[in-house]
Amino acid sequence: MTKRILSVFFIVMLSQAVFAQNEGDPERGRIIAYTCFGCHGVPHQKNVYPTYSVPKLGGQTEGYLISSLQAYQRGDRKHPTMHAQANTLTDQDIRDIASYFVTVHKGDES
Amino acid sequence: MSLSRTILLAFFIGTLSTAATAAGDKGRGLEKSKVCQACHGEDGNLAVDDQTPILAGQYADYLIHALKDYRSGERVNAVMNGFAGDLSDQDIEDLAAWYSSQKGLATPSLSE
Repeated sequence: MTKRILSVFFIVMLSQAVFAQNEGDPERGRIIAYTCFGCHGVPHQKNVYPTYSVPKLGGQTEGYLISSLQAYQRGDRKHPTMHAQANTLTDQDIRDIASYFVTVHKGDES
Repeated sequence: MSLSRTILLAFFIGTLSTAATAAGDKGRGLEKSKVCQACHGEDGNLAVDDQTPILAGQYADYLIHALKDYRSGERVNAVMNGFAGDLSDQDIEDLAAWYSSQKGLATPSLSE
């Protein structure tokens, strides 16, 4: 009986650990995202070459932000700065950053 | 024709062609967006699934860049490579004009 209780306890703990790993933490994400603000926090900031506006991220979908960062990591999306930035991030960092940008709706709407 | 008139005319034509290529028409963009709407919605605020980006309010020149990369295959996405492959430069500029003019995405601010 004790063994059964123990194994149930273990399974519950394990599933929580897995769950915790898959959830993004927007509070931690906000802190890690500090670097992103250098470009993504400046309205109408321009990418140098080719020249186009750095995309708005506030209110973007979480899954899209995660896949974008992963694609920059792998080099599937080619952008030297984003490749370098994404390479500094762990999977958990990416989930946290994405979960933070989803929550942003205010700011410069222009 | 005098030289100054020729220069003026060349200047006028040059300005006209720049204007024509630089600006998309959002009304035509809305018409052409029918096929996009299934996933992105009429105003770009729909995401049919979590992998689909919100387009509403995104910068027009970024949307143009993204669509041209999808069209050339520089950016790989099975669905978007197919759709963007059929678009002309004018189509891309019109679609970007439409979705960028809608209210949606925001620039995050450090003070929040």
